[in-house]
Amino acid sequence: MPLGGVIFIVIFIALFGAFLVWLAANITGTKPVYNPVKYEPYECGIPGIEKKETKISVKYYLTAILFILFDIEIIFMYPWAISFREFISTGGGAFVFISMMVFIAIFIFGLFWEVKSKALEWD
Amino acid sequence: MTADAFLFWFLAFVTLASGLSVILMSNPIYSALCLAMTMVGISALFVTLNAFFIAGVQLIVYAGAVMVLFTMVIMLFDLKKDVQAFTKGKFTGAVKIASVGLLAGLVVGAIAMSVSLMGEKTTDNPVMVGTGMETTKALGNILFSKYIFGFEALGVLLLVIAVGAVALARSKGGTHEH
Amino acid sequence: MGMGKDIFEITVNGLKLVVIFLMMVQMVPILVWLERRGSAFIQDRLGPNRVGPLGLMQLLADAVKFLTKENFVPDTAKPFLYYAAPVFALIPGAVAFSAIPMSSPIQVGTFEMFGSTWGPYTFLVQGYEIGVGIVFILGVSSLAAYTLLMAGWGSGNKYTLMGALRASAQTISYELALGLSIVGVIMLYGTFNLTEMTLAQQGPLSFTFLGNNVTASWLPNWGIFYQPLAAILFFSAAFAESNRLPFDLAEGESELVGGFHTEYGGFKFNMFFIGEYGHMMIASGLMVLFFFGGYTIPYVSVAELNEWAASVTSTAGKASALVALIHFLAFNVKFAFFMWVFIWVRWTLPRFRYDQLMDLGWKTMLPWALANTIITAFVIYIASL
Repeated sequence: MPLGGVIFIVIFIALFGAFLVWLAANITGTKPVYNPVKYEPYECGIPGIEKKETKISVKYYLTAILFILFDIEIIFMYPWAISFREFISTGGGAFVFISMMVFIAIFIFGLFWEVKSKALEWD
Repeated sequence: MTADAFLFWFLAFVTLASGLSVILMSNPIYSALCLAMTMVGISALFVTLNAFFIAGVQLIVYAGAVMVLFTMVIMLFDLKKDVQAFTKGKFTGAVKIASVGLLAGLVVGAIAMSVSLMGEKTTDNPVMVGTGMETTKALGNILFSKYIFGFEALGVLLLVIAVGAVALARSKGGTHEH
Repeated sequence: MGMGKDIFEITVNGLKLVVIFLMMVQMVPILVWLERRGSAFIQDRLGPNRVGPLGLMQLLADAVKFLTKENFVPDTAKPFLYYAAPVFALIPGAVAFSAIPMSSPIQVGTFEMFGSTWGPYTFLVQGYEIGVGIVFILGVSSLAAYTLLMAGWGSGNKYTLMGALRASAQTISYELALGLSIVGVIMLYGTFNLTEMTLAQQGPLSFTFLGNNVTASWLPNWGIFYQPLAAILFFSAAFAESNRLPFDLAEGESELVGGFHTEYGGFKFNMFFIGEYGHMMIASGLMVLFFFGGYTIPYVSVAELNEWAASVTSTAGKASALVALIHFLAFNVKFAFFMWVFIWVRWTLPRFRYDQLMDLGWKTMLPWALANTIITAFVIYIASL
C-alpha cells in the first residue's frame, strides 16, 4: 500500500475515534429539553439584537490576499534552500545566490510598500 | 483491484464530487468549503503519484487561496439576496448555458489531447521518479537554471498583484466603506 | 514507506498508527492536568487536588462530565458544519503528529511464528516517514484554519464568526513568519526529511568554515547554535499558530466571549481542545527536531550509542530496541520541556492587543525572518569558499 494510503488510515482512525466519542456521548448524555431561550445564539445576558449578518472589516480580506501572495514567494524559497549547497558544490553558487537576492529584494520592496501604504494597519 | 487502484478511484471520486458540489451548492460558503475539499483531494492525488513537495505546496498555497475566497464570501455577501441572484434571472441562465458549453469544450479538448499522450513514455522525465527529496531538488535545479527569468518575473507579478489588491481594498465608496 | 510486505508487518504498522493517535489524544488530559496544576503553582494556589492522588483523577472526572453533557445544536446553527468542525479539528493534528520521528528505528530479526519464518523487519517509531516532512506538516496544519471558520460560521453567532475570522487572520499571518523562519533551517541541513535533520545534529558541535574544521566539544551539535534567530521566530510563531496566550486573540473574553467555540459544549468543545493541544505538540516536536537534536542524546553520536547497546545485549534486535527506548526517552524529555514552556508562557505573559499582534507578525517577525534567510545564505556561501 502506498504512503498516501497510510495517511488515509490515520484520517480514518481520527474519524473513527470521533465517531466512538459521538456514540458514547449519545448513549450517556442527557436528552435535551427544548427551551426557546436555550436554543438562541449566545448573547451576554440581553436579547440578541444584531444577527449574524454582521459586517466584517475589509482588513480580513486584505490580510488573507497579502498572505497568499507572500506565501507563494516563500514556497519558492524552499526548492532554492534545499539545493543551495548542491549549487555551491557545482559552482553555480554565486548565480543562484544573486538571483534569489533579487527575488528577496522584490519581496522586501513589496513588504515595505505595504507598510508604507498602511495596508497592514489595524485600528 | 489493488490498493493503489482503489485509492486512486476513491480520491478521484472525492475530488470530482466536491468539485461538482462547488458549482451545485446554492450557498457560497458551502461552495468555498467544497473547493477547499477539492484542493485537498488533488493534493492527496499528488501524494499517490509520489510528488510530495507539490502535494505540500498544493495544501499550503491553494488551500490558503480558498481561505481568501472564504473570507471574501463572508465579507461581501448578504447571503439571502445573493443566493437568489445566483440562481434566478435571464443573465444567470445565459451564463449557465455558456459555462456548460465551455466545460463541454474543455472536456472534449482534454480527451482529444490526452489520447495522443497516452502512448508516450514518461519515465525519462526526471521529475517523475524517486521520492520527495529528489523531485524537489530536480525542481530547484530546473527553476534556477532554465526558468530563472520566469522565476524573477513571478516576483514582480506578485508585487503588482499585492499593489492592486491594496488599491482595490482602499478605494472609497461601495457598501463596505471602512 | 508504505504499510509493509506481509501480514505481520502490516498489522504492527497499523497498530502503531492507532497507538500514536491514542498517544496524541491521551496526552491531552495529562497536559490539562499539568496546565491546571502549573498555573496554580505559578499563581501561588493549589489547583485541582481533591479527586484522586494529586488531583490526577480529575481528568477522568472531566471526561465523564463531558460525555454526560446535553447534546444540542443552537437554532441558528448549521447542524452539519456545527458537528463537522470539531471532528475536522482532530484530523490535521493527528496526521501531522504521526509524521514526527520520535525515536530511531527498531530492527527485528527473523523468527518463527505459526509454523513459518518471518523475515527481518525495520519498524520506524513514527506513523509514517515522508520525504518532504516539513512541507507536508506545514501544509496539513495550515488546514486547521478551516475548522475555525467552519465552527465560527456554522454556529450562527456573531461572536463565533468574529472570533473565527480573527483567529484565521492571525493564523495565516504568523504562518508566513513560521514558513520563512525554517528556510534557514532547510538550507542548513539541505533536506526536508525530519530523520535526516535529526541525524545531522548528533555528536559535539563541529562545522567547516573557510576550509577550517571548527570543533567545540563542550556544546552539542544542535541547530539552535547555528540558527538562534530562526529558533526564536519559529517558537513565537508556533504560539500564534496554536492560538495560545499571549496570542489567543480568538477568545478575548472581554470582547468575544469564547471566540469561535462560544456555542460549543461537552465533548465537542473538548475536541477543539485536543486540536489546540495537538498543535502545541507538533510545534514542540518540530522545535526539538529542528533546533534541539531530535531524539539524539547530546554529545553522544548514534553510532557510539549503538556500539554500547551491542556490548550489553545479546542480539542485534535487542540492541536496536534498547537504543530506540533511550532515544524515545531523550526525545520525550526535550518534548516535555517545550510543552512546559507553552504552559509557563501562558500563565506569565498578558494578552496582546489585536493591532499589536498583527504588527508583530507582519512588521517585526517577517522582516527578521527574511534577514535570517539572507544572512544564512550569505554565511553558507562564504563558508564554502
